[in-house]
Amino acid sequence: MARSQPIAPNVGRLSRSQVSAKRGLFKGKKTSAAPAKPETPAHTEKTVGGKANGEKRLVPTNKASKYYPAEDVRKPRVSRKTPGKTALRSSITPGTVLILLAGRFSGKRVVFLKQLDSGLLLVSGPFKINGVPLRRVSQAYVIATSTKVDISNVTVPETVNDSFFAKAKAAKSTKEGEFFGEGKEKKAFPEEKKSEQKAVDAALLASIKKVDNLAKYLKASWGLSKSDRFHELKF
Amino acid sequence: MGRFTEYSVVGRTLPTESDPAPKLYRMRIFAPNEVVAKSRYWYYLRQLKKAKKANGEIVAINVIHEAKPLKVKNFAIWLRYDSRSGTHNMVKEFRALSRAEAVEAMYQDMAARHRARFRNVQILRVAEIEKKDDIRRPYIKQLLEPGLKFPLPHRRTTSKAWYAASRPSTWA
Amino acid sequence: MHPGTGRLKRQSTFKRFVEVGRVVLVNDGPSAGKLAVIVEIIDHNRALIDGPTTSVPRQAFPYRNLILTPYTLANLPRAAGSGPLKKALEKAGVLEKWEQSGWAKKLAARQTRKNSSDFDRFQVQLAKKSRRDLVRKAYVKEKKASA
Repeated sequence: MARSQPIAPNVGRLSRSQVSAKRGLFKGKKTSAAPAKPETPAHTEKTVGGKANGEKRLVPTNKASKYYPAEDVRKPRVSRKTPGKTALRSSITPGTVLILLAGRFSGKRVVFLKQLDSGLLLVSGPFKINGVPLRRVSQAYVIATSTKVDISNVTVPETVNDSFFAKAKAAKSTKEGEFFGEGKEKKAFPEEKKSEQKAVDAALLASIKKVDNLAKYLKASWGLSKSDRFHELKF
Repeated sequence: MGRFTEYSVVGRTLPTESDPAPKLYRMRIFAPNEVVAKSRYWYYLRQLKKAKKANGEIVAINVIHEAKPLKVKNFAIWLRYDSRSGTHNMVKEFRALSRAEAVEAMYQDMAARHRARFRNVQILRVAEIEKKDDIRRPYIKQLLEPGLKFPLPHRRTTSKAWYAASRPSTWA
Repeated sequence: MHPGTGRLKRQSTFKRFVEVGRVVLVNDGPSAGKLAVIVEIIDHNRALIDGPTTSVPRQAFPYRNLILTPYTLANLPRAAGSGPLKKALEKAGVLEKWEQSGWAKKLAARQTRKNSSDFDRFQVQLAKKSRRDLVRKAYVKEKKASA
C-alpha cells in the first residue's frame, strides 16, 4: 500500500500493472534449480518401550497435521474451454493495406500478409519502401483501408511464424559488468532474417509497382490534420 | 398522450340470471394503446349506460386501420371539452392522411389554444368531409383553392461545419 | 398576394413556390438526396410527396426537410397517382435536367469525396502537388521573361 497511496477509499493512485511493475517481483524470479536435498524416508523405525507395544514402530518423519478441515473444500472445476483462433476483422484480408496506430512504426502504411497462429497479423512494409520489416501486429492497433495489394504470387515461407519473431534470451550479466558496458556488443542482424525479408518482399514489390502511386502511398505516413473528421473519414 | 390509434372496442355487462344475454356495445376509440382504449371505453360506457368495469367485460378489441392512408382528406371533429370555467362543444376541421392523425392534431390544437388536456376532451364524432362546399373553416378552405401556391420565405439552413464564421441568415 | 385573386399580374421576388407539381429535393430521412414531386399540399407545414422514378415512397413530408428546385411539372392534377406522375416526370425530362445541373454535380462531387478511400485522398494530394508545381514553374518563367 505504501507505494500506491490511496486517492479514495479502495482506489490506489497506481494501477494494478503499475504496482506490479514497481514491486518488481519478476526481477527476483529464480531461474537456477535449487540444490537437490537428500531424500528422507517417509517413515523411521523407532524402538518403543512397554511390553504390549511390540518393541518397534514405524513413525512418520513429518508428523501429520492435527488440523483437518471439518467441511470439504470445494475445488473449482477445471475449465475445458480452449481459446479459439482470433477472428479477423472482415475488412482485413491478405493484401489489405493497413495503417499502424501504435508502436515504433505508428502512422506507417503496411501490407497485410497473413494471420499467424497466435492471432497476430503478419505485415511487411515492404522494408525497401518504408522501412517496416516483417512484423507482427495486433489487429486492434490497426486501421484497415479498402486498398488491396495483389499478393497472389507472394509466398510466405513456413519459417516465418511466431517463433521467427521470438527474442533470443539474453545471457545473464552481472550488475557491475552491465554498468561498465560489458557484453553490450551490438549483435549483427541475423542473415537468415534478412534473406527471408528479401524473399517475401521481392514478389510484393513487383505487384506494388504495377499500380500507379501505390509505392508512394506506402512510403508516405498517415496522420490526422486539423480539418479531418475521423468519424466521417472512410478508409 | 402520444401517437393515436383507432380502436374498435366491444363490451357488455356480465350475464346474470335475469339477463342471460346482455346487450353488446361497440365504440370507436382513439387511444395511444389498448390499455388506454379499454379504460376510455369503460369511462364512456358508464356515463351512457348502467354498466361499469367491475361487472362487465370487454368482448373484443381491434385496431381500425385507415382505408386509404395515402389520400389527403379533410376531417371534421365534433368535440366537447371542459375548460376552467365550463363545458363547451366545438367543431374543428383538419387536413390529414388518416382519422388518427387528425385526432392527434386536434389534441395538440386543443392543448395549444385552450390548455385542454387529454382527459378534458371528449370526441363526439370524427367524419370525413367529402364535399368541398361543406367545409366551414377558412383555414381549411384556403388550402383547397385551385392553383394554390406559396413560397417558403423563412428558410433555415443548418451548416454541417463545426463553427460558422457568421450567424446564418434566415431571411432574404 | 392571395392566390387566385384574379387578373392582376402577380409580382413576387420569389421564384420557387410550394405547389402541386413542384420538384423537390428530399433533405432528410432514408431518401435524403433524392428528387420527389409535391403531389398535394396537406397544410402549411407539410405536403404529400412521391418519387416513382427515384424510389421515394409516397409519403407526407414537412417543408422543413424539403428543398424546392426550379423544376415544375406543369398542369399536374392534384393527388395524381404514381403512374401518371411517372409519365409526367419522364415527359418533362426532369431527371436528365437535374443530372446536368451544377447543383446536382456539386452534390455528387461532395458524395464521391466523402466516400473516397485513403488511397484516393492520397492521389488527390499528389495531383494537387503537381498542379502547384506546374503553376509555380510557369509563373517563374513568365516573370523572368517579362523582367
